[in-house]
Amino acid sequence: MAGLNDEAQWIVLMGFVVSFSLFFLAMILNQSVVVGQTTAEAVSEFPKDDIRGIREVTIESQMMNLPDADRKLVQNDIRVLSMSRQNAIVNLPLPSPTMIGGYTYIDIHYNNGVTAYNETWRSP
Amino acid sequence: MVDTSGQLYTIEGISAALIMLISAYLVVNATSIYTPGDTHINDMQLEVLGSDALQVMNTPVNGSSESPLQKIVENDDASTFNTTFLNFVNNRTGSGMDNLHYTADIAYRNISDGDTIWSYRLASNRNMTAGDHPVRVTEWIIVKKNLPPGPYSPTPYRAALVEVLLWRD
Repeated sequence: MAGLNDEAQWIVLMGFVVSFSLFFLAMILNQSVVVGQTTAEAVSEFPKDDIRGIREVTIESQMMNLPDADRKLVQNDIRVLSMSRQNAIVNLPLPSPTMIGGYTYIDIHYNNGVTAYNETWRSP
Repeated sequence: MVDTSGQLYTIEGISAALIMLISAYLVVNATSIYTPGDTHINDMQLEVLGSDALQVMNTPVNGSSESPLQKIVENDDASTFNTTFLNFVNNRTGSGMDNLHYTADIAYRNISDGDTIWSYRLASNRNMTAGDHPVRVTEWIIVKKNLPPGPYSPTPYRAALVEVLLWRD
């Protein structure tokens, strides 16, 4: 700064420091709005109710202690209704699941193209 | 020889201009505009609310009894469904109720019609009009009921799907 009065350099420097920190804080604030929305959307988009519904009704149909003919009726209802109203393919072992070592195992596979969910459900 | 006594002012001017321009850009950029594509967020929240209400209604009070929803479907009890469901979805913190409306149908497999899907109206508190924008929520039930309603003996167990169209007006 040739020939310039340079007594106020500290003030100018501090001015810059403060402006830049404010600027970066604003940038973080700007991002946080988007982050919150994206997260909330991802949580809502998770097909919790589809998984829960198909899981509960299949397990209930297996464990309700129905005669084989009745269970077959109920499980055919589930299969046909899933196909036409829920766009889901349900495949159930008719008339009842096999017991291995004293436990009944039910494999549940769910896949809607975005979310995959797999479970082996076990009951004594 | 060019006079260089204004250099610092020039640099400061340029920096200040840059900071102001970028700040203005940030502020303008931070504003989100609500477009028709964003309505799916509200729809998803409505779906969560409706599904949870149906799930609560399909929870038995103990391990051996039927859930309220099963009883409602078996007895075709439209008024209990209406009261319970509207209570669940319309109650809010503080005074004043929310303004949600619904139509509820039961979808079932008609064995005597080649496994086609039929449905009948369980309950509704308003007819849907063209301007309404509903979401669909469902709940599986296993009920001891003749489907389609008719005289069979003994009454068989059947699986059916409670389908509710839910909208806010």
